Amino acid sequence: MGPVELLHMSVFSQSFSPCGRFLAAGNNYGEIAVFSLSAALSPDASEGSQKPILNFTAHDGPVFTLLSTDTHLLSAGNGEISAWSWAELIKKSTKAAWTRKPSYETSLEIPEINAMIINPKDNSLIVGGGDNNIHIMDMETGIFKSVLKGHTDYIHCLCFKEREGEILSGGEDGAVRIWDSRTNRPVHCIEVFRYEECARPQFGKWISCLATDSDWMLCGGGPSLSLWHLRSMSPTSVFPLPGCQREAVFHQDLIMSVGEGPYVSHCLHGGTVKAQIPCTPSSLNTLALNLKNTEHRVMTVGGSSHQIDVFTNFSYRAFSLSF
Amino acid sequence: MSSDAVKKRKPKVIRNEEGTPETKRGRAEGEQSVEMEERRRQCSVHFITLKKLNRLAHMRLKKGRDQTHEAKQRVDVLHLQLQNLLYEVMHLQKEINKCLEFKSQHEEIELVSEEEFFQEAPAEISRPHVTRDDHHQLTLARLDWELEQRKRLAEQYKMSLARKEKIHKAIEQKREYLSSLQPGLQNIMQASLPVQECLSMPFEQMQKQAEVARHLPPPLYVLLVQAAAYGQACDKTLSASISGDVDEAKALSRPPEDSQDDESDSDAEEEQQNTKRRRATVGVQLDDKRKEMLRRHPLSLCVDLKCKDGSVLHLFFYYLMNLNILTVKTKVSTTTDLSGAVSAGELLNSESLLNCLYASDHGQETPNPTNRYQFDKVGITTFADYVSDLGHPYVWVQKLGGLQFSSDGAQVCVLMGSALSASHMERTMKLLQGRLQARLALHKQFSSLEHSIIPVSGECQHLFPAKVVSGLTLVPVEQELGFVQHVLKAGLLRETDLFFMAVVERGTARLLAAVVVNPRYPEVMPLFSLSLHWKGERSGRTEDNLRAMESEVNVFRAELQGPRPGFQLLTNQIQRLCVCLDVYLEMESQVCDGSEGPKEFPREKMCLRTARGPSRLKPFKYNHPQGFFSHR
Repeated sequence: MGPVELLHMSVFSQSFSPCGRFLAAGNNYGEIAVFSLSAALSPDASEGSQKPILNFTAHDGPVFTLLSTDTHLLSAGNGEISAWSWAELIKKSTKAAWTRKPSYETSLEIPEINAMIINPKDNSLIVGGGDNNIHIMDMETGIFKSVLKGHTDYIHCLCFKEREGEILSGGEDGAVRIWDSRTNRPVHCIEVFRYEECARPQFGKWISCLATDSDWMLCGGGPSLSLWHLRSMSPTSVFPLPGCQREAVFHQDLIMSVGEGPYVSHCLHGGTVKAQIPCTPSSLNTLALNLKNTEHRVMTVGGSSHQIDVFTNFSYRAFSLSF
Repeated sequence: MSSDAVKKRKPKVIRNEEGTPETKRGRAEGEQSVEMEERRRQCSVHFITLKKLNRLAHMRLKKGRDQTHEAKQRVDVLHLQLQNLLYEVMHLQKEINKCLEFKSQHEEIELVSEEEFFQEAPAEISRPHVTRDDHHQLTLARLDWELEQRKRLAEQYKMSLARKEKIHKAIEQKREYLSSLQPGLQNIMQASLPVQECLSMPFEQMQKQAEVARHLPPPLYVLLVQAAAYGQACDKTLSASISGDVDEAKALSRPPEDSQDDESDSDAEEEQQNTKRRRATVGVQLDDKRKEMLRRHPLSLCVDLKCKDGSVLHLFFYYLMNLNILTVKTKVSTTTDLSGAVSAGELLNSESLLNCLYASDHGQETPNPTNRYQFDKVGITTFADYVSDLGHPYVWVQKLGGLQFSSDGAQVCVLMGSALSASHMERTMKLLQGRLQARLALHKQFSSLEHSIIPVSGECQHLFPAKVVSGLTLVPVEQELGFVQHVLKAGLLRETDLFFMAVVERGTARLLAAVVVNPRYPEVMPLFSLSLHWKGERSGRTEDNLRAMESEVNVFRAELQGPRPGFQLLTNQIQRLCVCLDVYLEMESQVCDGSEGPKEFPREKMCLRTARGPSRLKPFKYNHPQGFFSHR
């Protein structure tokens, strides 16, 4: 990686290891880098501990999404999903445990995979991407058991409601669709851009981030980031953030979101923006919280830069890991 | 007398005797007088005997003395004789020693050994029957033989001397003859010059050059030899020649004794003058010292590199004597007139033409570490001030002259002198030619770019679609643009880089591209930074799509390079930029909800999807020959 390539690198996805001591990040060149958080957070950390312990090319195209199960790291490239054993990765072995491709109808251009989530109830992997459909794969057998069709443009983000067993998907067509995971049928469809409070026609209608917390749903993208009450299917608060948001999470009482603009926004449920914490990349694509490990409880963000900012205290940037 | 004394004594005694017994006087007077007479008689007899004894004693004494005296005399005589004898013995012994120690001169003469002598000497001299027994005779005979031999050899010596004289004379004659030949030969050579030119065998020229080359300082000489050798072997178009003042060079190498005499005379004169005249100020003195330190050798080397299209790169090499470094000045002469490209004035500027021929070789500081101390003495802070005057001291120039300075310490070079020069010659010449051609190609491209024509060569047409609508203007730029900051921060910008601004326009949209061209173009790709003015201002920092366009133009060298040697790089990059702008503007109109009237840029490009991925990038990659756009 020469300096020019580093200058044009973007980080699209992150995932923490099950033990919480390692961070995997994927970039637009198809590489995955594994960083050792314990080394970077230790008191005698140096420049070298902010570099990855392992950096390898995992896929042809950009790695838009990463997901960690209890033992494996799942990564998605151009139309394929690979699984890497965390234990092997820590030992610096880069052999994939398995690679599977969902079946696509068109063969002219291979669609990307933008989002992956796990349904813990029946141990299945839910994948959404460029072919406008959601594919569900059984983790044990590896067979793609069903396809959920309904979106008219590609899928940006996926989310799972555990209590009801419902899958939420947001796409480029501006619709948030809710599916029942047992019957694989669509339950609701919300077209966010039709609601005047949220809509921002100067940007567009796409939905690029989704998050749920029991009855609440966050969604944003072209329309403003807004908090919805799912039972009444109506927006309760709209957050006045200037850019388009790419990822948002619920954390304790706060809502944290990242998107266009070099900052992490902390918002309250009421609709006010409490703080905007500046960070290195000029726009952010991914935010991850390491809640599994109490020692290394950090938030990491990555975006249009080869650097990943690490926040030990969520209020300010501590240091940056770099590819 | 003594008897008188005795007599007097006696009476005293008598008196005394008489004195004491005064009582007895009466009776003893008669007896006493007989006794006294007896006693007187006895006394006289005693006196006489005493005298006799005394006489005898005296006589005996005298006799004894005489005897002793005589004996003594005898002993003395004998003693004298003994001494005489001893003296004589000593004298004789000395004489004997002298005789024994006597080294006759004949022993200093080296004589042949006895066996040789007996073998060589004729019988009448050696006389073996006598000499074998008698050592003295033997030595004499040997001396005789020696003498005879020496006489003979002296004869021979005289004869040889005479012969030598004769030969000397003969040599002198021949020498005169040859020197008379010299002017004749010169005439012939002069006459043959036109013939040489006809046949293109410039022997005369080469000889003259070799003659002058003898006065070159060693680094320039090494450079000349290696360059000429390289030219003969690999590159017939390379030519090397010497220019400058040969007499001054000869003056520099004059033997020191003459110059010392001159110096002492001139010093004396100068002192006289100085006492009359005011001393020059310190500043002027320092200035003079500086000039002296930076003095160039009067001879310089000129190497011409010709390229295929006829343009020539002239390199002038100078040697700074006190600093022991080589410097170079350049000049470019082309077959076609190069004026007309305003922005490209920097490209062929002789100051910066050869910057960074090898990475980070700026040629602003002297590579010789000892110069630092010399500069401190005369108050020169940086060499960069004098570079425009004296030429650039690039590291590759030092290497070509065989000068090796241990500045970096990282690589230990074992080669010295000619070997060092030879090892770098080929690569450097190729780099120089490549640099000239790259700059000339850039120059040509710039002059057409300024007329808004992007000269894409035939081989690279496949990289771009047939129709590109955006138009270009090229502007030379001032520094300090906001959207270039990220390149500065990444450390990819250097002082030696060239800056340009390209403006691509289509309709109401204006794309500003700041271009950073490294002097080592096309080995190093130019970097583009974009800023779009269309419905607001966006840059590669604020918008992901512009960033993707930047990466499309900056990163994919293998695609954009075109055929070797890659001079098409910049034009291809610019062409691709125009294509990307087209795609962006056309796709952008699609994405927004087209609620306002007709779209400004109707979609003409073919693509499968307008947005892909979380950052919703547009399809910038052109596929040939299908002719549609896709995502990377």
